[in-house]
Amino acid sequence: MNDEAGGKQRRARFQALCQSLRPDLLRFAFWLSRDRALAEDVVQESMMRAWKAQDSLLDETAAKPWLLTIIRREYARTFERKRFSTVDVDELIAKEEPLLAAAEEQDIRDVRVAMMKLPEEYREPLVLQVLMGYSTAEIARELELSVPAVLTRLCRARRQLRAACGEDTSQDPLE
Amino acid sequence: MMEHAHYRAAILADPHSSDADLLAHRETCAECRAYTEQLLKFESRLERAMRVSIAPKADVLPFERKRAAAPTSRRWMALAASVLLGAAIVGGVWLTLPQSSLAAAVVAHMAGEPEAWRRTDVAVPKPELEDVLKNSKLRLKPDAGIVSYASSCTFRGYKVPHLVVQTASGPVTVMVLVHEAVRHPTQFDEQGYRGTIVPVPGHGSLAVLMRDPSIGASEIAGIAKRVDDSIVWTP
Repeated sequence: MNDEAGGKQRRARFQALCQSLRPDLLRFAFWLSRDRALAEDVVQESMMRAWKAQDSLLDETAAKPWLLTIIRREYARTFERKRFSTVDVDELIAKEEPLLAAAEEQDIRDVRVAMMKLPEEYREPLVLQVLMGYSTAEIARELELSVPAVLTRLCRARRQLRAACGEDTSQDPLE
Repeated sequence: MMEHAHYRAAILADPHSSDADLLAHRETCAECRAYTEQLLKFESRLERAMRVSIAPKADVLPFERKRAAAPTSRRWMALAASVLLGAAIVGGVWLTLPQSSLAAAVVAHMAGEPEAWRRTDVAVPKPELEDVLKNSKLRLKPDAGIVSYASSCTFRGYKVPHLVVQTASGPVTVMVLVHEAVRHPTQFDEQGYRGTIVPVPGHGSLAVLMRDPSIGASEIAGIAKRVDDSIVWTP
């Protein structure tokens, strides 16, 4: 009986933890995949995996990066499994139009469209930094890159985004 | 003294950097200060753009999905409802379901796999198909038709077979939802997809969809019946 109560309590706690982290994790998965339905599936599957492997989470305050790593791996697995062919970005944008245009301001929609068109190698570190609050060193660790490589990607990401959004990039440093 | 280019490259990579050398340069360089202000304005837009709205979900982890058997009186009501629904289907009436429904989730999943809709007569290799089906403990009879796509997909927390069967009416997508029990058949017409979700007693439900807007409700129901008949459940 005590075991059962303990199990329920554990589940409730884990459920609450996932609930609180879900919005940001889903946003991360969305920007990774650029596909809302796929992001939902990846996050759901990752949370189930996390539940089964929860003993490996020693510190609950580290749950967010821990789950984020699981999501990245799950996304990579999904990608391998489905053997996606080349992605038509315009098709992706058209499909996600309701989400992209949900913002009231046109300038936010423009940034979202530019984000959709950004290559994954630039998009992922940028999302980790801006949305997830990762430091450059943490991004380097997560993506298994050197710190200078991460800085270069972040720099290029912002340069491309700003140019796509019609910002004045004349003062940007040359490569 | 730090060069402008060095400062701008560093601040472009991390606009909120509190590096002492960068701060010192900014203090003394009006041009780079203006550049940073412009960058921080864009950064604020970027942060807001990344925060796409997320619909809340009460049950993020489907720990328990057991459904109790309906009491006898409710079974009669369900039977009556399915008779009425059957009549509606025969009459060609389509229902548009709310976004939160099982049908909406199926449609959303379909939209994420456009490559599955290709019209082809190339069948998925048998071992690959068997691999997809085995987790759900089923196989298909040889006369089921050409299965041109087979993938084990995550759907609402479970691995489910997602198949495309080539029929005379065009490609038909089938999802075998052994974890999703439904009480009666449901027809839907959402986002260009027409289909049905039918109960499979003891094995959850079956979702069958087409992208042909001219397909009739009774035709979809017939296809679903044929797909259901071609499934052999294994122990």
